[in-house]
Amino acid sequence: MSSKEIIIDTSELRFIEGHGRLTVKISGKDVVAEFHNLEGPRFLTKYLRGKPAEMAPRVASRICGLCYTVHSISAAEAVERALGIKVSKEVRDLRNVLYLANNLRSHMMHLLYLSIPAIEGLISVLRMRDKNVFRVGSRILTKATELIEIWGGRSVHVPNVVVGGFGAPIRRKELLKSVKDLAGLLEDAQGFVRYAMDLELPDLERYRVLAASKKPGTYPIYSEDAAIALSDGSIMNGQEYYEGLEEVTKEYSTSKHVYFKDTEITVGALSRMMLNRRYLSFGARTLVEEVEWRINPFLVVKAQAVEVIHYMEELIRLGGELADVIMETENPAVCSVVDLETAEGAYGGSKGRGVFIAEAPRGMLCHSCEVEDGLIKEYRVYTPTAVNSMSIERDAVELVKRFRPIGMEKLKFILEDLVRSYDPCLSCAVSLDVYG
Amino acid sequence: MKLAFYSLTSCEGCLTTLITKLGPDLEGLWNNFDIDYFKLVREPVGGSRIPKADIAFVEGAVVTNLDREQLLEIRKNSRFVVALGTCASSGNIAYTASRGVDLKGRRLRDVEISEAEPISSVITVDYELSGCPVSAEEFTDALLRLVNSIEPVQPDFSVCYECKMKGNDCLLEKRRVCLGPLAMGGCGAACTSVGAPCFSCRGPAAEADLDAYLKTIEKKGVDRQRALMLLHMFTGKKVKEVLKNEQ
Ligand code: SF4
Ligand code: SF4
Ligand code: SF4
Repeated sequence: MSSKEIIIDTSELRFIEGHGRLTVKISGKDVVAEFHNLEGPRFLTKYLRGKPAEMAPRVASRICGLCYTVHSISAAEAVERALGIKVSKEVRDLRNVLYLANNLRSHMMHLLYLSIPAIEGLISVLRMRDKNVFRVGSRILTKATELIEIWGGRSVHVPNVVVGGFGAPIRRKELLKSVKDLAGLLEDAQGFVRYAMDLELPDLERYRVLAASKKPGTYPIYSEDAAIALSDGSIMNGQEYYEGLEEVTKEYSTSKHVYFKDTEITVGALSRMMLNRRYLSFGARTLVEEVEWRINPFLVVKAQAVEVIHYMEELIRLGGELADVIMETENPAVCSVVDLETAEGAYGGSKGRGVFIAEAPRGMLCHSCEVEDGLIKEYRVYTPTAVNSMSIERDAVELVKRFRPIGMEKLKFILEDLVRSYDPCLSCAVSLDVYG
Repeated sequence: MKLAFYSLTSCEGCLTTLITKLGPDLEGLWNNFDIDYFKLVREPVGGSRIPKADIAFVEGAVVTNLDREQLLEIRKNSRFVVALGTCASSGNIAYTASRGVDLKGRRLRDVEISEAEPISSVITVDYELSGCPVSAEEFTDALLRLVNSIEPVQPDFSVCYECKMKGNDCLLEKRRVCLGPLAMGGCGAACTSVGAPCFSCRGPAAEADLDAYLKTIEKKGVDRQRALMLLHMFTGKKVKEVLKNEQ
């Protein structure tokens, strides 16, 4: 083996959200990987400093064009926790539905447009031989977006998610229609998911600790009182998890990486699958048996495919239940509990800290804020991509070591597939920018 | 005809809006035009090089040196450049948020970060379609017009107009800061229709009259400072146009 230094550079990664790049430097037996975030910061969390607390959901929404719904909800929750505002069960149930719709939309976008075509070596989803895969997939994506539009007041960057609840009630007729439309797509979705389940994926099993929300008997996504479980058996509450998060600056990245108590953890659909798959919905449970689940990051694609069915079935079930609760007229339990943004400032005089953690599509997302005199003093967003960055680098090293004989050109493509399998979002990750 | 879709520093919400709203119809767009670059939808022709295009749609603000370099290439290789969304047209929240951050305090190896700018600060822009996110209907309309060499238009009425047409109760009456009178309509008063004030995410209305607005809110007892703070939020660099008649 020559000791000459070789660098594999993906240059700008194709088919991911935001701008990023992976480099792997090989010199003899030494292999070093660097996952670069090249996305520029937009300083949204800094912008929030000094702003009225109720602005958080609207600003946080702009973190991501795919997961705006979960960023808005997480922001509302973090502020509510900081100020000790309790929201009704109806609000939580409705937020849960929006959260699931967000995750469905994000998974469909990732599977259909970003990962499947790339795994198959195509230049675009529009070049797939089976045109039906695109037609069905894009219909599900569009339906999930419509559901968000109906409930959130707008298809992208939803104004109806506010601190304290919802600005306006969700109408029963519209709710039933969106649920019925989704139900009508379930059979087609099975076909789409089958396509993803049958993909041949590389094997890159590597041990590390996985982390996901945990609530006995459920597959928790958005939950008021879920704990956080690690695959090593430890269980903690959200506050303990949050306190274990450490920000690490890298000179090659516009965003910080996040470690948990000085070690690597991996979050996301595969972690959820490993820890909670027994509690998936009925149709998803049948699918889940097909895969021998191991800690192989490439399996995230299949975990997402299983979750697509889970989200759809849950949305259909919960939507039906909610329709019974929601009335056509204004239901004060659902509407915002406080008249926000009055000229006086809704929360003048109030202070506190709040942390909220839930399972965004790519894994546990944590929003934390400190409020003083109704104004935001500090706001931080720990995204799953920032948490998974260390795993991406370690997997890249492992991949190069194991697959080296196939040659550098091919390695580059598999490395790109590896990064993409984590479904990283660099626009989100840059929320934890290197400037503070 | 060749189209291209680029993304600079952004949330990519404008491109995902087009993708999800077009849904299966994306196939029609794909079949009717040559699309050599479309972030999230296809692998660019010729790798990272910027291809020649008749119409280039650019989402995002200019924050990094990479944004700047790419944008200059885009201008060189495109006949017509359209700013897609508020990040591209005004700099969006990042415009205000990036000012006052000590950007010299930390140097990165490959990326240089500067204060956020709309794309018009760097290149000549032929048309702006603002909106956070851009409206898919307005995009389609603009595309059809451009293909037929007709100048696209965005609404010339304010959000208030649509809000009144919907019969909403005015939030100013509840002493809440709403920028509707200053904001470009076309969104169907999306926010005020669910009880959330308008923050003018689509940029200033053609008829925006700040003086009149400030007088009105003063009469209604709405907080002026807060209104001005919110006006900066999405209006970014364009706030200068709105403020020019003030004082
Ligand atoms: S204008 Fe809004 S939706 Fe579009 S990229 Fe910028 S932040 Fe995202
Ligand atoms: S609520 Fe806002 S948009 Fe609607 S009429 Fe009043 S000021 Fe105009
Ligand atoms: S109401 Fe105002 S803030 Fe809301 S979408 Fe319309 S222009 Fe944007």
